[in-house]
Amino acid sequence: MEWLQVMVARLTGLFRRRALDAELDRELSVHLEALTEENIRRGMTEQAAHHAARREFGGLEQTKESYRDQRGLPFFETLAQDLRYASRMLLKSPGFTLVTVLTLALGIGANTGLFSLVNSVLLGNLPVRNPEELVVVKYTDSRSQQAQEDFSYPMYQALRDKNTAFRNVLTRSGVDFNASYGGQSERATGEMVSGNYFETLGVRAFLGRLIGPEDDRTPGAHPVAVLSYGYWQRRFGSDAAVVGKDLILNNNPIRVIGITPPGFYGTEMARNPDIRVPMMMATVFRPVPANRLENPRHRWMTILARRKPQVTVGQAQASLDILYHQVLAAELQERESSINAHDKERTLASRIQLEPGNQGFAHLRTEMERPLLLMFCVTGIVLLVACANLANLLLARNAKRKQEISVRLAIGAGRGRLIRQWLTESLLLSVLGGCAGIFVAYWAETALLGFLPADFSANLQAPMDFRVLGFALLASLFTGLLFGLAPAFQLSQAGVSITLRHDSPSIASGERIFCLRSALIFLQVALSLPLLIGAGLFLHSLENLRGVSTGFVKENVFLTTLNPAMNGYPRERIKSLYDDLLALVRAMPDVRAASLTTSSVISGGWDQEGVKVEGYLPGADENMSPNAAIISPGYFATMGIPFVEGRDFTEQDTAARPKVVIINETMAHYFFGNKDPLGKKIGTEDDPKAPPDREIIGVVKDAKYVRLSEAPRRHFYAPMAQELRLLDMTLQVRTSGDPEKIGNLVRAQVHDLDANLPLYATTTLEIQIDDSLTQERLITWLSSLFGLLATLLASLGLSGVVAFSVSRRTREIGIRMALGAQPDDILRHVVGHMAFLVTAGMAVGLAAAYGLSRLLGSMLYEVGSADPRAFAGSCFLLGVVAALAAYWPARRATEVDPVVALRYE
Amino acid sequence: MAETHGEVLQGTLDLIVLKTLEALGPLHGYGIAMRIQQVSEDLLKLNQGTLYPALLRLEQRGWISSKWGVSDNNRKAKYYTLTRSGRKQLLAETESWERMAALMTRLLGRAEGA
Repeated sequence: MEWLQVMVARLTGLFRRRALDAELDRELSVHLEALTEENIRRGMTEQAAHHAARREFGGLEQTKESYRDQRGLPFFETLAQDLRYASRMLLKSPGFTLVTVLTLALGIGANTGLFSLVNSVLLGNLPVRNPEELVVVKYTDSRSQQAQEDFSYPMYQALRDKNTAFRNVLTRSGVDFNASYGGQSERATGEMVSGNYFETLGVRAFLGRLIGPEDDRTPGAHPVAVLSYGYWQRRFGSDAAVVGKDLILNNNPIRVIGITPPGFYGTEMARNPDIRVPMMMATVFRPVPANRLENPRHRWMTILARRKPQVTVGQAQASLDILYHQVLAAELQERESSINAHDKERTLASRIQLEPGNQGFAHLRTEMERPLLLMFCVTGIVLLVACANLANLLLARNAKRKQEISVRLAIGAGRGRLIRQWLTESLLLSVLGGCAGIFVAYWAETALLGFLPADFSANLQAPMDFRVLGFALLASLFTGLLFGLAPAFQLSQAGVSITLRHDSPSIASGERIFCLRSALIFLQVALSLPLLIGAGLFLHSLENLRGVSTGFVKENVFLTTLNPAMNGYPRERIKSLYDDLLALVRAMPDVRAASLTTSSVISGGWDQEGVKVEGYLPGADENMSPNAAIISPGYFATMGIPFVEGRDFTEQDTAARPKVVIINETMAHYFFGNKDPLGKKIGTEDDPKAPPDREIIGVVKDAKYVRLSEAPRRHFYAPMAQELRLLDMTLQVRTSGDPEKIGNLVRAQVHDLDANLPLYATTTLEIQIDDSLTQERLITWLSSLFGLLATLLASLGLSGVVAFSVSRRTREIGIRMALGAQPDDILRHVVGHMAFLVTAGMAVGLAAAYGLSRLLGSMLYEVGSADPRAFAGSCFLLGVVAALAAYWPARRATEVDPVVALRYE
Repeated sequence: MAETHGEVLQGTLDLIVLKTLEALGPLHGYGIAMRIQQVSEDLLKLNQGTLYPALLRLEQRGWISSKWGVSDNNRKAKYYTLTRSGRKQLLAETESWERMAALMTRLLGRAEGA
């Protein structure tokens, strides 16, 4: 308690300083007078008495000073004093201050912006109660390296009801809806959730009530839905009356019972489903296969569980694994006859694997982790380069302030005190820069978010939280120390006598500064070059991706997707609708070809289907699932994919005729080698016992299917007319003009055919491909930006050092010229040292870049880690910029007039 | 500053001041200085100025309090008084000092004897 009392006393001592000083003066003078009088009484003269009194008393000013230190808070008083002084100094050189603060604002801002993204994307938790108790349930599969997370409903039921380690186990599965309300149809994203979903997550309704266990008992019998806050706002204008009304979802009236709270997005940050319905409604919304909820072989749902607080993840995993194997064993027993030993072994070899669920299902996050961390490192390096630059600036400035420093040293300032004052100045600068940086960060983050998928960025919450602000502050202080320390120490080395003498640019201290500044230039070059090279690698990779041979013609293709099956239409109606649509579109002006497909190229996803091939015996674990698409006739004409041999599907390949398929070259080669595949048969896994029944009638060239960077894949095409079920199909229209123009016509046409049929994913093929490169483009763009920024900073530093060196050696240059040196000699002399520095820095930078570029590996497309173009190009660029930066101030050296120079000092 | 021997340790000075105030009652800085010199018979050489930061330190801790008053020769002076907690502190410090002194005496005595 005593320290508190002292603290209060000292704090009050900060106020009324003038009055307290006066009081102290009075008290001390009373003391001195008394001493003097005493001395006079002893017989001294007044003068002598006074002197004696002063002697006995000791240093009056020292007493006052230590009294004042005792009275207030000297640390803060000194700080305030230093800050006042520092701000005066900064205001005196506004140009320097502006450049410094701007540099810092960019450096700290970029770092803070990226940290903010890292913070919300990689560190953010699900917006639910106690997210750290959640675990994602997965299982390992010997065939694929990654843990799988799709379970069957019977397995879910067993895990939910028989486990001992969890308080709750929820399941969910994505689904899309055709949603109609008030005569307006549109596509909505959705999720089927178990009855304990909201209870497990600990989420309460914003309006109405949420889905509970009582809404999830009987298959198909719970026509209720919960809307997300965002969808409710967007689609229903936040109208509370919608609760209790019916929506038409896929032609079924469904009662809205409640709205989820704002900020809640579910269990995956990258998605924000509009509508949630009970899992039991799967029989209505995903009617095929009908036994979806009973069949243990249909794995289509993901599971998230809440641990009991006293159970560790390890214990939970062990106990769940036992349960899992019991269920698997029982399932296998039921299928005993139809399963071979190998498959059985493989199934039983899988293990339950629990992963932290505080971030929910983190697919996109996992994907973004590397690029985000990479960019974070890049901005960190840029900040280092900026620090080196500022240290350089400060060193140059110190050289100009030598006079001031000498005076201060001479009148008794301690070196520690001077260092402190100087650090205060750099910290003030860095904190100013940091404050400005927060605005830059805000802007940068907004810009970066624009590159993320919309659903994802909408779910990123409170991007500027205390963690981010704390980071900005720490980054500022760290930066301030980093660039302030070297100049401060260098400064404190300065001697009084040397600098007070009038020949100010003294050789000794100048030499030291010059060495320090040279080292900083070396560092900047060594740091900048890897950034430039990284940018070069990404640039080259992006160029490769853009120039990749796709196997199709991307120009002038309009795309839109529709799913009449959702509306519960019978197959015949769906088929005639598709046929009518194709006929109508093909008749439109400027349309050169039109077709339908289940998978649209480079849209990020594709169907795969297990096949058996006539005359081909697959190995035990061989992957027999090529990519597959169901298409209408005219597909290859629309896409511009050429035939190798055989023919396209025609209107005559109907359900009544023999089944036919078309395969791509890779598949032909894989299964048939050099033999002619035409006339051979393949079969799908629909009926395991039936022999292959689909005749190969054509072979087409390979194309890129899912993404531009993929390796060639096996692929087969089946005709729509011979397919039993038709789900969503993408209409692709090749036009002779602008493909966007055809969009309105198509939309009107579809509306005429069926007003309840929403179109979605409407775009052009070119845009779709462009969008697939968003991440690559962002990385390339950012790394180029930061690489150039670092180079610019380094070259500014270089310029400054050369200028410093020239002004320092004006006299020497003058002598050299007087003795007959030519401008070229002088130039070589001045720049030679710099050339050596830059070359050395580049050598180190090259080595570093070579080491680091291996880490990029999979992020680059067909670019070696020692890509000569990126390496040579970056070296060239940096070399040219450095040469220009050095030449500019060095030229001044050649303009030195020997006569003036010799008189100069 | 203190060229003679007998420099004053900070804690010691605190103790001396407290003891002086206990013995003589309210006193001004000059009075305290005189008393210290008188008692120590000039063995203890003290820069009188150092007394004032010490007085402030003691006051901040609440062991003494100060008030302006009038001195014997009709001059305004600041008078320092021992507070209750100061008295307690004096007691505690005297005790620990005596213990320390006894220890040192014993130690040095034995060392000499050996």
